[in-house]
Amino acid sequence: MSSELTAALTQLLEARIVGFLTAGVGLGMLFGALPGLTATMGIALLVPLTFWLPTDQGLAMLLGIYCGAIPAGGIPAILLNVPGTPASIAATWDGYALSQKGRADLALKINVFASLFGQLLGVLFLALAAFPIASLALRMGPAEYFGLGVFGLSLMAGVSGKRVWEGVLAGTLGLALATVGLDPLTAYPRFTFGLPELLDGVAFIPVMIGLFGLGEVLAAISAGVTPFGATTHRSADAPALQRCVGPVLGSSLLGSLIGVFVGAVPAAGGDIAAIIAWDQSRRLSPNREEFGQGSTRGLAAACAAANAVIGGAMTTMMTLGIPGDAPSAVLIGALLIHGVQPGPLMFRDHRTLVWTIVLLLALAALVTASVGLLGSAPLARLARVPAPYLWMAVVLLSITGAYALNNSLTDVWLMFIAGLAGFVLRKLEVPLGPLVLGLILGPMIESNLRRALVLSRGDWSTIFARPLVLVFLVAAAAALFGPVAALRRTQHNRPAALSR
Amino acid sequence: MTLLRQCDADALSRVVLILWLAGQIVLSFGCHSTQSRSYPSKPIRLIVQTVPGGLSDAVSRVMASQLELQLGVPVVCENRPGAAGAVAFLYVVRQRPDGYLLGHGPVEIAMVQALGLAQVGPKDMDLLCLVSMSDPVLAVHSASSWKTFNALVESARTRPGYYIIGNSGTGSIWHINALLLEEATRTQFVHCPFGGSAAAITALLGRHVDAVVAGAGEVAPYVQAGSLRALAVFSAQRSPVLPDVPAVRELGWDFGTPAWSGFYAPKGLPDPVRSRLVGAFKKAFESEAFQRLCRERGMRAVFLGPDEFRVFVDGQTQFFESAIPRLITRAWAVQ
Repeated sequence: MSSELTAALTQLLEARIVGFLTAGVGLGMLFGALPGLTATMGIALLVPLTFWLPTDQGLAMLLGIYCGAIPAGGIPAILLNVPGTPASIAATWDGYALSQKGRADLALKINVFASLFGQLLGVLFLALAAFPIASLALRMGPAEYFGLGVFGLSLMAGVSGKRVWEGVLAGTLGLALATVGLDPLTAYPRFTFGLPELLDGVAFIPVMIGLFGLGEVLAAISAGVTPFGATTHRSADAPALQRCVGPVLGSSLLGSLIGVFVGAVPAAGGDIAAIIAWDQSRRLSPNREEFGQGSTRGLAAACAAANAVIGGAMTTMMTLGIPGDAPSAVLIGALLIHGVQPGPLMFRDHRTLVWTIVLLLALAALVTASVGLLGSAPLARLARVPAPYLWMAVVLLSITGAYALNNSLTDVWLMFIAGLAGFVLRKLEVPLGPLVLGLILGPMIESNLRRALVLSRGDWSTIFARPLVLVFLVAAAAALFGPVAALRRTQHNRPAALSR
Repeated sequence: MTLLRQCDADALSRVVLILWLAGQIVLSFGCHSTQSRSYPSKPIRLIVQTVPGGLSDAVSRVMASQLELQLGVPVVCENRPGAAGAVAFLYVVRQRPDGYLLGHGPVEIAMVQALGLAQVGPKDMDLLCLVSMSDPVLAVHSASSWKTFNALVESARTRPGYYIIGNSGTGSIWHINALLLEEATRTQFVHCPFGGSAAAITALLGRHVDAVVAGAGEVAPYVQAGSLRALAVFSAQRSPVLPDVPAVRELGWDFGTPAWSGFYAPKGLPDPVRSRLVGAFKKAFESEAFQRLCRERGMRAVFLGPDEFRVFVDGQTQFFESAIPRLITRAWAVQ
């Protein structure tokens, strides 16, 4: 173990790696700070560029984007009430309230520190707990993956904002779309209309780019929303910073633990983690009424959770070979390109690479925090580019991003259809997260349940008799009904920004 | 001053225009003459039917880098994955046969039509050459009680429809090989398709399945690490990457069909272009880079020129057209 750690450390000392990492962080922060450009999109668009780089340099760049984008997403959330990435939705509630009170500088600094805290705690979890998980991972078969999939789906269905039923509807739509393509067991074409392009199913990345990129732009144009700034800046003085150190640290720890847990759950990402963390931190806080009115605790919990998700998601990805959230789903593809199959065997066959990833994540967190402290103000100004230019760029990037994934015009049309659908669903106030989740988790749940049934020779009872499967299904039930109840309780305390 | 600047600008724009026109004439003349005299004169695109990262992609990229040295123009790989390769095959055969667009042709070019995935096959292609073959290997967990292939067949005969063989996907070449095993040995297994060989091998390592049929190169690292045991190569001869594992022919069986990698162009390639390309492919095949790739990934380096490749592919197409419906019907009847 130590020799591999040393090898990984030596690799990192190369100037090129640090250079690509810093470039990635810079690009990631740009993607994060610009609403409509997400961390996932940034990684997906940059993956082809890393084909020509050695594995470690390519990874340095991609992980830099991942770690840079999430904290930067909080910048427009705080200054403009527009979340830069889905993960920073919860940061708008207290962050924007703080900046309206003229405490934007303080809010931005809390964002930087809580994000750093969350990322480092997540990496610590990855470094210390990934190995036990990896040794357990081999014992997980199709039945357990099915249970995991159901658990992931239940969390998202529960956290659809106020619109739980619309969320369930969107999730079902995603599951229905996931049935398109070759049947995973019999290879019989389903709903393909004779088009070979549909045999592999509806590709989720073009759908996601359409729903969140193009759909967001269409909705913004129709609503006539113009990003505006011009908030009065009051620098955070030393006494003000000192006063909030205690609460911020406590909330960051709570948020980070929730973030690591939610991040480790497949396909439940930073948005849910931040929402749950914000809610839990509110419940434990001595002054609940502050939340949503500019609470430093609420902001810290949301930012820390959104960032701790990175470590949790990477743990799931690297040990189980399944994505812990959307950016790590794209990272799996990137690793495959570099000849590395994420999964239990990665810890045996590519141990140096595992340590390289751990160290790259820690380094990226530190670089992001330094850049964030130095450059949050100039980056925030980027988010105030006149709206038409921003929309134009998002549309162009949506088209090129959809095409570049498979060199397929079909994917571009799929992106346009998804964009229109996203616009209509936004108008109907249907949350979009569950749709993408259904699309991603549908094949995982279906193929693994049916595989498990093949392995049990058609016997359902042996599947549910497996202890881990039971744990996941019980957790799924708890996750489905817990947040629903929690959301009902907190509905009155939340500002309007929540509905998404 | 203003006048002078105006003059300058005019003169400058005129010079630029003349230069541009001259350039156009030279370029068009140059293109015309080189096109008729010497191929190639511009970059060549090579369409790969999988996502980047797999074996087909590795073969294509190594070949492309070697072809660049031979042909003196860039050879750019482009991935168009989907439908077991049919998306890429359909795209390539619809392009102009000018030698500037080629395709990587795996065993699936002889399979997709029989599998009912798309109406495209070798008859629509100008076949260039075959460069490598991968043998199917049956592997079990190293803690398994089966030490030999015949012991596994004996067990399977006593408990038909009990033991589970994992494969990389329904209709994949390794699934077809598992079905051929059943047919030849008169046994019945349960076939469990996974999303690719890596997932199937992971399931075998976790002992969720009893055996796996996968490519020799995919199984070899785990056999060498001692976590899996390879029982037989479904071929007439042993695999160079697993020299201690018997071929089924030695054990008295005769079944198995390999995966392979070749290259093709849209139908109607001019003869001089074809011979130039095949010559370059032959040199690229002989390069140390390609031979090393074959050794590292457990493939057999085999070169077949256009005529031999056509005979081989026609035989393969006929084989799959009769074998796939027969095996699938048999599998359904058993279930």
